[in-house]
Formats: sequence, C-alpha cells, structure tokens
Amino acid sequence: MAFKATPQKFTAKINALTVGTGDREISLGGENVFPFYSFDAPIENSPKIGIEIHDAGHYAGIPGMDEYYAGADTLAETARRAAAVEGADFLAVSFDGAHPDGGDRSVEDCVAVIKEIADAVDIPIVIEGSKSIDKDVKLFDKISEALSGRNILVLSAREENYKSIAASVGLAYSQKVGAESAVDINLAKQLNVLISQMGVKSENTAMNLGSAAAGYGFEYVASTIDRVKAAALAQNDMMLQMPIVTPVGAEAWSVKEAIVSEEDFPEWGPMEIRGINMEVSTAAACLAAGSNAVILRHPESVKAVSRFIKALI
Amino acid sequence: MGLFDRVFRGADQMYEKAESEYGKALAELGADASLAMPDTAYHMACIYAYQNRRITKLGDLREALDEIKSRMIHEQRTGDVFSSGIASVMAAEVIECCKYAGGRSPYEGTKYHGHFSDAEVRELGVPLVTQDIPGFVVIIDPAPSDEEAAALIKGYQNRGIFVFLIGGVIDQAIRSKIQMGFPVRVVPVGEDIWAVGHIISLVVRAAMIFGAVTPGDWDAFNEYSFKRIFAFVNVFPPLRDMTVACGAGAIAKGFPVITNVVENVWKVPKTIIIQENVADFIETSLEARDIKIKITDIDIPVAFSTAFEGEIIRKKDTRVDINGARADCFEWVRTKEAHEIEDHSITLDGPDIDEAEQGATIAVGIMVDVAGKNMQSDFEPVFERKFHNFLNCIEGVMHTGQRDMIRVRVSLDAFDAGFRIKHIGEVLYAKVKSEYDTVVDKCQVTIVTDPAKLKELRAEANKSYDKRDMRLRSMTDENVGVFYSCILCQSFSPSHVCVVTPERLGLCGAVSWLDAKATNELDPNGPCQVVTKERVIDEDIGSWEDVNEAVVHYSHGALERVTLYSILEDPMTSCGCFECICGIEPASNGVTIVNREHTGITPLGMTFSEMASMTGGGVQTPGFMGHGKHFIASKKFLKAEGGITRIVWMPKALKDIVHDRLNETARELYGIDDFCSMVADESVSEDPETLLEFLSEKGHPVLAMEPLF
Repeated sequence: MAFKATPQKFTAKINALTVGTGDREISLGGENVFPFYSFDAPIENSPKIGIEIHDAGHYAGIPGMDEYYAGADTLAETARRAAAVEGADFLAVSFDGAHPDGGDRSVEDCVAVIKEIADAVDIPIVIEGSKSIDKDVKLFDKISEALSGRNILVLSAREENYKSIAASVGLAYSQKVGAESAVDINLAKQLNVLISQMGVKSENTAMNLGSAAAGYGFEYVASTIDRVKAAALAQNDMMLQMPIVTPVGAEAWSVKEAIVSEEDFPEWGPMEIRGINMEVSTAAACLAAGSNAVILRHPESVKAVSRFIKALI
Repeated sequence: MGLFDRVFRGADQMYEKAESEYGKALAELGADASLAMPDTAYHMACIYAYQNRRITKLGDLREALDEIKSRMIHEQRTGDVFSSGIASVMAAEVIECCKYAGGRSPYEGTKYHGHFSDAEVRELGVPLVTQDIPGFVVIIDPAPSDEEAAALIKGYQNRGIFVFLIGGVIDQAIRSKIQMGFPVRVVPVGEDIWAVGHIISLVVRAAMIFGAVTPGDWDAFNEYSFKRIFAFVNVFPPLRDMTVACGAGAIAKGFPVITNVVENVWKVPKTIIIQENVADFIETSLEARDIKIKITDIDIPVAFSTAFEGEIIRKKDTRVDINGARADCFEWVRTKEAHEIEDHSITLDGPDIDEAEQGATIAVGIMVDVAGKNMQSDFEPVFERKFHNFLNCIEGVMHTGQRDMIRVRVSLDAFDAGFRIKHIGEVLYAKVKSEYDTVVDKCQVTIVTDPAKLKELRAEANKSYDKRDMRLRSMTDENVGVFYSCILCQSFSPSHVCVVTPERLGLCGAVSWLDAKATNELDPNGPCQVVTKERVIDEDIGSWEDVNEAVVHYSHGALERVTLYSILEDPMTSCGCFECICGIEPASNGVTIVNREHTGITPLGMTFSEMASMTGGGVQTPGFMGHGKHFIASKKFLKAEGGITRIVWMPKALKDIVHDRLNETARELYGIDDFCSMVADESVSEDPETLLEFLSEKGHPVLAMEPLF
C-alpha cells in the first residue's frame, strides 16, 4: 500500500512576536506545525538568529572573533560589524559588566552604552541582563526608557523580579518582555501566567526556557522545549504559545570543549573550531526542539546556523 | 441637607470657579493661546481620559467645560453623585491648567509641585503596579496640630505609602521640618482643593500607560483605579462642599475617604469613614483600602537565613532548652476576628531567657493569632508546620517537632548577641505576614513562659489539635467537593500528576488534601490546582471524567486516564518520591508493600529500588503503585480490588507505623481483629512459599478472596 502523508497541522499556533522597527523588523513564531515540519504546512516565520556582543565590546580571546572585530574601537563600530554578519537577524547585547560582582557598571553608563549601540544599527535589539536580579530591574527600566519606540525585546524577567520588569518594560515603555525560567515547563507556564496577570499581553512576550550546551544535560532542554511546543500546539495551551528565544553562546563557550587550549589537548585540535562546533550543534539542537530564535557569538556559527535553517525551510 | 446635596453644591461651586478662571485666561491670552501641559503626551489628562478630548489651545476648553456641566446631574441617584464627583475633578483640572496656559510655569519657585510629568507617572506607576509602593494617600487641609500632621506623614512614609499633600497640611509639614519632594515620596501638590486635578491626572495616565485603558471609556478608568491603584484620602476640617464633591470623585474611582469631621458627614462602610482619633488614621485607612504592608526586614539581633536551617546546637553551647517532652510547651495558631488582634503586637507573659540558668530546660508556649478575610481555620496546621522552617533559619536557634512536642534550643552566642524570647515572636510575625500575605491581614504573637499558666493553655491547645484531627479523620473523598492536583515533582518527572484526595494523600507523604488546598489558596497559580469531581464514571474504582480531563491537562497529554482506588486499572502514576511501593504478589493473590527505608528483599524477589525502577517516571504499570505511608490504612486503599485485606506482607518497621490505624480500618470495614498480626514481615518470610504457609497458618482473609486476574 502506498504511503499517504497526513499533514499534521494544528488549529492552535505560536504567537508571532515582532521585534524592531522598519525594514529590519523581525517576527518570531507564528507557526502552527512542529519545528521544521514545513511538509505539514508552511512555516510562518523561519527561526531567527541573534548575534551577541556585551557592554564592553565583542567577546574577546577567540582568534577568529578578534580578527573579525579587529579595529572596531568603539561600541558603535563593534555593533555595526556584528550586525553585518551574514545571517544575523538581530543584535543581542548582554550586560555582563553591570553585575555587582562583575564590574558593577552603573545604570547610567549602561544606558550610554546601549544608546551608542542603538544609534549605530538598525537591526532589532534584544537586551540580555546582568544576571543580577536587583540590578536588572533598574537596568531594564532605564534601557527601555532610553530605547523607547525601538520595540526591543528584554530577556530575563524572572520569577524574582518579573513584577517590576513587566510593569516598566512591558507596560510603561511598551517593549517586549522575555520570561526566563530554568528548564521546567510548569515554572515557565506559571511565569507566563503571572506576567500576563500584570497586564502584559501574551502576544508581547517571549520565553527563554533556559539552555545547556549539547552534551551537558541537554536532554532536559530538548524535552522541555519539545513539551512546551506540544502543549502549545496540540493542547492549545495559550499560556505556552509564546515564541522561544534561546541564548546559546554563553553556554557553548563556557564548556571544557570550548575553552581548554590546544597545547593541553593536542588531540582535540584547535580550540576555536571546537567552540564553533559546540555553538552550532547546540543551536541546531535547540532549533530542532522548537526554539524560534537562538543567540550566538561567533560570526562563523551564525553563518553555519543560517545555512542550516535555509536548507530545511 | 443631605450628603448628595453637598456634593451637588460643591460641584456647582467648582464649575463656577472653572468658568471664571477660564474667562480670565481667555481675556488675557485669547482663545488661540497654547494650552500644553509640560512633559506629557496625554494633554490635560483628566479631560483626555474622560472626554477623549485633546486640549491644545485655551479655546478648546469651551466644549470641555460644557461637557463637564452636562455631567453634573443633580438627581438623587448614586450614579449622579459619582458623575458629579468626576466632573468636579475635571473642573479642578481646568482651574489648575489655566495657570499653565500660554506656556506659563505657575509653580516655579514656589513650595508647590503642581503638574506631574509623564516620567514621574512612570516612576511612581511601576512600584504602584508591582506594589513595592503599597499605595498612596492624599491628605487635604491641616491636621488638628503640627505634631499630628508630622506623625501622620511619617507614619505613612515608614510604611512605604506615597503621600500627596494639599492645603494647610503643607505648611504644617514645613514647620515640622519634614523633607518633601518626589524622591522622598512626600509631595506638596498645591494650595487649594483644585490641586486634586493634578493627582487624578496622574491616576488616569497610569491607567492609560499601565492598563492600556482607552480614552473616553469612563467606566474602565474607574474600574482600573479601583482594582489596581491603592489610594485613599485623609481629610481634615473645614471640609468644604467643594472638597466633598472631589471626595465623591475619589470614591467613584474606588478611593475611600477618611475624615475626623463629624458634622454633616454620613458614614458609608469602607467608603466614607469617620475616625475622630487622628492617631488611628493610618490603620483605619489601610484597612479601608485593603492595603497590606509587606515586611522585608526582621528585627532581630542575629542573622536570619536558610543557611542556618541545618545548624545543630550542642548541649554545651545551649543557653536554654525549650523542651516539650519535659515541660509544658506548644506552638499554636489560632484564627481570630480582626478586631481581636493588634497587628504586630508581641507579648511575653512570664520570665525571659535571662532569668533561666545556663543550660536550663524551660517551658514556653507560643500562640500566634491571625485574622484575615480569606483566612480559614484549615490553614492553621499548615502555618504551624512551617514554624519549624521559620525558627530554624535563625542563627543560633535549633527547632524540631511541632504542636506540644517541640524542642527549641537557643545558643549561648545568640543569647550574647541579645536574642530574647520576643525575637521568636518577631520572626514568626514577619514570616507569617509575608509568606501568607494572601490570607493573613493581621497577626499577633503571645508567648507564655509562666509555668503556672502553661498547664491550662497546653490542655486548651491540645483540645484544638484534637478537633483538627477529628476534622481530618471525618473528611472522606465523598464529603468534599473537589480534589487537588499536585505537580510539584514535574521538574524531574515531567508527565506525573498526583491527584490528592482526603483519603489518598500525595505519594510523597508530604501533601495532604488540606495542604494541597492551602497551597492552592496561598499560591493560586502554583503546583496545586482544583480538580472537580462532578462526573462520576465509577466510584468504586475511583474514576471520574473531570479527574481524567485534569490528568490529561496537567500531564500535558502524556496520560489519559487514572483511577484513584485501583492498582490494576489505570493506576495513578508516580514521580519517584513515593514513600512506599505496593506490588501484586501472585502466589497469594495479595499485595506486598515496601517502604523506602527497607533495604532487604521482598517476597516478590525484588528490593525497593528494583520495584522503584518500574514504578516511577510518571508511567502506569498495572500491578505496581507508589503511595504515601498513611494511605495504607485508608478505606480507599485498593478499594477496587477488595481493600486492605489484600495486604499480605510489609516490613516490620512500616507495620509498626501503620499498626493501630490499619487494625482500626480492618475492624470497621471487615470486622477483623488484629489484622496486622496476619500480615507477614521480613522476620517470617522473604519468599512466596513461606509467605503462603504463614498466611494459611494465620487464616489471612486474602486466601478466600477472588483471584486478582
């Protein structure tokens, strides 16, 4: 008997979330099929790739990255170079240096940083925080104010600080809010419910479900993303229909494979290639599980993942 | 003259004043003069919000004023009073804004603040929305004395309440040297009553910014401020008609008015409150607007952190030993009426630690009284059990046990740092108020150390414990309206859902039906949700359509059906943290139960961990089931398969724990005496053959029962 394909498309769909403005505006999500199941129904918006820099420039210390950003002496120039990477849909700016234990860059300085960056590029901007609960509250408030009208996505409203962030980022300045939870479908859902109860519409939120580098407990990540997508589509769970944004770079570039030197492990080959491989394989796995966007650091990773997406959709 | 008439007269006066100010400005500047409020995108916000009219020129006010007049209906209906009140506020805005016409800055260089910028609305709005600022008060006109004014303002400041001042109270604050300004959260808005226009402008902008309320949607603005903006008004004499009219506007927006004026004022519960004692204004106001003050700091001389939870205090380091085994000690939560409780009162009745010898055993009874609109006596044991965690977090304090079998040690170091009995009260007060803020409005702690009084109190506490136990025992799956789901374990067992019922507690043994109920009410979006039980499929095996739907939902589609009382047909799944595993023993047609602590083999030829590997992970394995220890004596245990008489083997330690209650159930349901003696344990058998011999010898009822398969 001949095989007869039954398209598995759902009546429910993932919310389409727009970030940025004008020609470079992007939409995350919007699909009503499982990831890359373009044979079931057209994928509304292909997954997007963000390129990540931080408040002091690019992530230094990787030869190929240093080379790519060579001569970019200002943040504005760094941002322009990052935005110019082939396949980069948005710019992610992380404020690592604002953490009280990691430089404690003042909120005013951070605002100056983001203004310089924002003035230099026209692609959508995603803000990653300092990883400090208290600092992020103040930081996101002022950044959202400074970037009024740019329709930015502010990642990491967490269980401990979602109230303030939802109120300032989402309500006072009408920016997009990213709900960050730690690889747990129920906590993710609960946070979405709480943020929506604050008055932020679900159509204006994204989820960062957390991540891990491939091989470092990634099964939990894959299973969580997978189940979130299944609940959103198959069960029409409105509180899980937000698009998923997964920062990959920080995880991939901090595992052993990406940081031990070639001198110590000659049989492993060049460190940079290992790091890129780690970043690309983690990102590909996240996308296959259901992420609507990934955030990467290395320009080569961005290019590779971009080819991967184009080949599948 | 009635209250309504005062509102109408005040509204008319406000309107006349607005007309006259408008006329004056018009004569001076002309209709084309610009009328743009500084630093706002919302024009004259009250007019914009309630009339959907964007005022940009002075002349635009004509139509706005006409609409204001049309809203001042003088019928004797409540709606007309509210409508006139809001219209009065709009008229007040007109009076104030005329001062800004033609780009003037009327308050520059004065002691008054006047108009609020959008930046200030956002700055105040964010903490109001998150309730980091629990609310704001508008104080109008002078308090009876400068001292009372200062005490009132400072009292609000201490509680994090934002303060707006209008009229004579501002000069009182200045004379009392109170620092004022937006950053210190005390703002002198303006001299006259019409300065309220600026405050309501701020309120309606907050509704548009944070609540996306559409201009022109009159009711939505009032509803938003009622639900989301926790404001109230304090008014002192002379209480003119215009103030009464603005008060009607405040009330329309859900802001109660508290005053010490008694003449020509009519009390309306929760809305217009007469409080003659100014010292009580704060408490009366907060209660009227349902504002609860969050507690962030605990006032004790030692550290408080979960880091100290596991701290052990040795005998030689002990200053005092509060020991329920040797003296009359207890912890007791009591639900009271709000008026019976003085919030944050901590009373010590008897000698303090100082008076005890070093290392002495002392008697201490702790009574925590709580009140709240949503408080239920069923929560008492839930709070009480948490005392253990609360008190253990104190540096230098060790706590075990509950009820009247507590043991608390206070270390020498903690004592030297100044720790005394009352600090136990401070900790319990702060934790109960902050952890259970959804149900506890007021809390007071009484600690008795006088041995003479403790005996009687302990007996009384025990009566209360007994009453609770009776209630627990009397609760059956049939006589409650709903069950609860618990998905606390889904982080590591993604498809598992517990359905918690009065007669079947969670398999971890830690979540009873009452716990689940309390969890649900305290954290409505949390892990425990209501599961209805209206559509019965088969009550004998414990199967309901609603329960199945809930299981599908909370397992995200992984499970379709469960029964609550059967081990063979769709048994309830397990996460992995079950206290016990029950498995079918084919030779005898019975079941064996093994608890986690038992490391030996069972007659099934498997150990606990071997059985666990096929029971956990949220999968249904008919014939195996994880459960809590207390489920064993339940009348619902294996009800579908014939009940507890199926039990043929348990480790001795487990048998000892459930002994009395299991025997009681066997007697009640089957008329069997000393059933436990018929149940084998590891001392008589660890294999099917000897098990069968033992059962035959004892005449175990299972041998006469229908085969399981």
